[in-house]
Amino acid sequence: MREIFEKALKNKRNSADYIEIRAEKKETTTIHFQGEKLEKINCSQQAGGNVRALVKGGWGFVSFNQFDDLEEKVREAIEVASLIGKEESKLAVSSPVVEIINRELDKDFRQISLREKKDLMENYNNIIMKSNPLIQSSNVVYTDRFSTIYFANSEGSYIEQEKPFLSARFTAIAREGDNVQIANESFGSTKGFGAMEKISPKAQRAASRAVNLLRAQPVEGGEYTVILDQTLGGVFIHEAFGHLSEADFLYEDERMSGLMKLGKKFGSPKLNVVDDGSIPDLLGSAKYDDEGVRTKKNYLIKDGILTGRLHSRETAVKMGEEPTGNARALNYRFKPIVRMTNTYVGNGDTPFKDLLSGIKKGIYARDCYGGMTTFEMFTFSAGEGFMIRDGKIAEPVKDVVLSGNLFTTLLNIEGVGNDLKIIESGGGCGKAGQNPLPVSFGSPHLRIKKVVVGGR
Amino acid sequence: MEKLLQRTCKEVDSAELFKAKNKTIPVNFEVNRLKSIDISESEGKALRVINKGRIGFSSSTGNEDFDLMVEKAVATSEFGSTASFDFPGEMKRENKEKKNIDIYDERVADKSIEEMVQIGEGMIERVKDFNQKLRCDVTILKDDSEIEYLNSRGGNFSYHKTTMAYSLMAQQIKDQDMLMIYSSLESGKDNLDAEELTSEIIEHLKWGEKIVPVESGKMPVIFTPKAALVLILSIISGLNGKMVLKKISPLTSQKNKKLWSDLLTFYSDGTIDFALGSAPFDDEGVEMKKVPLVEKGEIKNFYYDLQTAGMAGVESTGNGLRAGIQSEPVPGISNLIIEEGKVSFKEMIKDISEGIIIDQVLGLGQGNIISGAFSNNVQLGYKIEKGKIVGRVKDVMIAGNAIEELKNIAALGNKAKWVEGKYKFPHIYLKSLSVSAKK
Repeated sequence: MREIFEKALKNKRNSADYIEIRAEKKETTTIHFQGEKLEKINCSQQAGGNVRALVKGGWGFVSFNQFDDLEEKVREAIEVASLIGKEESKLAVSSPVVEIINRELDKDFRQISLREKKDLMENYNNIIMKSNPLIQSSNVVYTDRFSTIYFANSEGSYIEQEKPFLSARFTAIAREGDNVQIANESFGSTKGFGAMEKISPKAQRAASRAVNLLRAQPVEGGEYTVILDQTLGGVFIHEAFGHLSEADFLYEDERMSGLMKLGKKFGSPKLNVVDDGSIPDLLGSAKYDDEGVRTKKNYLIKDGILTGRLHSRETAVKMGEEPTGNARALNYRFKPIVRMTNTYVGNGDTPFKDLLSGIKKGIYARDCYGGMTTFEMFTFSAGEGFMIRDGKIAEPVKDVVLSGNLFTTLLNIEGVGNDLKIIESGGGCGKAGQNPLPVSFGSPHLRIKKVVVGGR
Repeated sequence: MEKLLQRTCKEVDSAELFKAKNKTIPVNFEVNRLKSIDISESEGKALRVINKGRIGFSSSTGNEDFDLMVEKAVATSEFGSTASFDFPGEMKRENKEKKNIDIYDERVADKSIEEMVQIGEGMIERVKDFNQKLRCDVTILKDDSEIEYLNSRGGNFSYHKTTMAYSLMAQQIKDQDMLMIYSSLESGKDNLDAEELTSEIIEHLKWGEKIVPVESGKMPVIFTPKAALVLILSIISGLNGKMVLKKISPLTSQKNKKLWSDLLTFYSDGTIDFALGSAPFDDEGVEMKKVPLVEKGEIKNFYYDLQTAGMAGVESTGNGLRAGIQSEPVPGISNLIIEEGKVSFKEMIKDISEGIIIDQVLGLGQGNIISGAFSNNVQLGYKIEKGKIVGRVKDVMIAGNAIEELKNIAALGNKAKWVEGKYKFPHIYLKSLSVSAKK
C-alpha cells in the first residue's frame, strides 16, 4: 500500500497545504439469533479508502471503494478544497511517523470456524430462552471484525494499524399479556476469541432483568437524588460531559468556548474525569489516531476544575493547545473528527453504602439503554431502576429516564464512590452520522442530587 | 453480472445478486461559513443464495474476488434459516394506477457544487438578517444512486434515483441557555424551497425568545410533524411482520381490532413520486405498493418481506428493505403517510388554555420502544397559555405509552408535512400527556 500512496501523493505536495490518504481492509462476521432461530449469519469483506486535502483552510474529502485511480481522487479532493479555501491553513505540528503495528491475538477469531462461533452463540441464546417461561424472545448478536488501516500524509507519515474487534449483544424479551419488557447486556473486546467464551453470566442477567421488569411499576416523574452505577455513571460522563469537551464544537464558537473555559469550576474537588486512548487494548485505544497523532492520557477535569479538552490537529492549533490524539474516523467513508476514546470518572473515596445513607426517597439507576445530548442538555435511560427509601434499596421501577442540564448536574454530584469499573460494551458512540465508534467508559458509583426523572 | 450469477448457480439451488452504486456530495457550512465539501462514492454487491433449502448471504465492496463471496455465502447457508420463499421470477409492475414512479431528476444529478454553495450561503444570510448573533450550520446535499438486481429465476430490475436535501440548524447561546432549532427538507426532485426552511426556523426563533416555567402534571400537548415520530415509532415497530411473527409485538393479536382513535389512518406507500422511500420494487424484487396499515384506528395489515411473509403464510407486502449492502432484506417502511385531519395548527393552539407544543425531543427511540413506552426530554417546546404561544420551555420531560396515548387524539392537523423525505405527518394534538418539570 505504501508505494501506491506515495505514487499518488507525489507531485501533489505543491497544490495543497496538506494531504492524507487512508485505506481500510476488513472482514466481518455477523451471527444473529432471534428467539429459537438463527436469524442471520453472514460474512462480508470491505475495502475502501479516502483522500483528505487542505487548501487555504478549506477541506476537501473524497471517499471510494475503487482504488484504480488514486491520483485522480487526490486531484478531486484538492479541487473541492480549493472551492472553500479563503484563508491560511493551520494544523498543529505532529512529527511524521513510520510504523507498522500488528496485533497478535491469543485465540485469533479469524482461525475459529463459523460452526464454533455459531455453537457458542446458540448456547448463550439457549441460556436466555430457557431461563424462564416468561421469556418470549431474544436477540443474540455476535460480530467480529478484523481491520487493517493504512495511513499516509504529505508530511511523510506512513502508519499501518491492525484493529481487531469482537462484540456480543444479548437482548431478552419477557412478555406477560400486553406487558412486554426488554433487557440488554453487551460485551466488547479487542482481544482473542477466549474473551467471548466467558460471558454466560451476561446472558443470565439479561434474562432475569427482563423478567424482573415485568413486575416493576413505572417510575413516578419528578426530581430525585439519584445514584448511578458504574455503567450509567460512565455513560453519563461520556454523553453529557465528554461530548462538550470535543473541541470541534468549541473552537469557532466564542460563546461555547466561553462556557468551557479552562480553569472554570465544574464540580466538587472529588471530581476527576480522564480520556485516555493509550491504555493498551481497550475498545477506544490505538497507538495513533486517524491523523497519525500519538494518543495519550488527557485530564478533562482535575479536582473539580476544567483542565483540558479533546483535539484534532486543526482544533488544537486554532485554540492554541496541544493535539491530544482524538481525531477518529468510524471507517473509510468518513473524515476524522474529534472523538472520545476511553473516558472515565476517577475514583473517589466513598463506599457504596455510604452513598446510600441519608437518602429518604431517591432512585438507584443501573445499566443503560442509551443516551443522547445536545450541547448542555442530556438524557439517558436506565436499563434497571430501584427506589431508594430511607437509605435502603427498595422496590424495582421501570422506564427510568434521567435528564438535565450538564453544568448544574456536574455541580450536583455530591458523592463519588471508590469502585471504578471500566465498561467494555459492544455498542458505541455516535456523532455526526459516525456510529457506532468503539469506545469504553466507566465510573465509580455517583450520587447526584436534583435530577429530573420523566414519568407518568 | 449475469455471468457471475451463472457461476454461483453451479454450486447452489438459486441465487440473487444485488448491486448498489452511489455518489453523495454534501456541502457543509459550519458556524456561518463554508467548511467542507465531500465526494463520497460507494459500490457494493450482496449475494443471497438458497442452498439445500437454506439461506446464505455474503457481501463485498470493491474488487474482491467474486469466488470468495460465493464461498462465504455457501458456508453461511450451512447454518442459515430454512428458506420459506423462492426468488421472484419475471418482474413487471402490475399496478395499473401507478405503473411508473418518478424517482430520478436530471436537474439534481447535474446540480453544480457552486450552485449548492450559493443555496447554503443564501440560507445563512436570510437567518442572519433576522439575528446577527445566531450560529448557523447548513448542509446542502445531493445523491445519485443506481440499483441493479438479478436472480437465477430470471427476475431482474434496475433503477436510478436522486435525492436533494437542505438542512439548517440555528443556535443561540445566552449565558448557560442554549437554544437550538433544526429543520430539513428532502426530495428526489430539485424542487426544495430554501425560503420555506428559513421562515420556519425564524418563526420558531421568535416563539422561543422567552423562557417560561411549566408546572408538572397532565396537560394537552401538540406534537409538530417533526416530533410526531415520538408517538409513531413504536407503532411502526409493532406492525413489523417479523415482530408480529415472533410474538414480540404487543399488537400481535390485534389485527382488525379497533385500538386507537377514529382519526388515525396511515399507510406505507413506496409509489409516491420523488419521496425518498419510493422505488418500483423493494430490495428483493417485489413490487412496491400502497399498504393500508391502520384505518380509523383499526389495524388492517402488518408489513412483510419475502422470508417473513413465507413463514407467516401470507404474501410479501413489498416491504423487504436492506439497511445497507451488508444487510439482508428485512421488513421495513418505505414511506409512511398519516392522513390529515380537519383542524389547523392555529385552531389547536387556540383550543388550549394551558399546554405545550413539542417540536424536538432528545432520546427518540431510546428505551423500550416495542412496549410503546416513551420518555423524552423536550429539547425544543413551547408553552401555550389561554390559546397563545407565550414562550419556550426548558428542563421538561414528557412520558407515556404511544399505544395508549393514540386512543386519545383530540385532533389531527389539516396540513401534513414531509419529515426526512419519507414520512408525511400532520400535527398531532393529544388531550392529555404527563409532563415533568424541574422545580
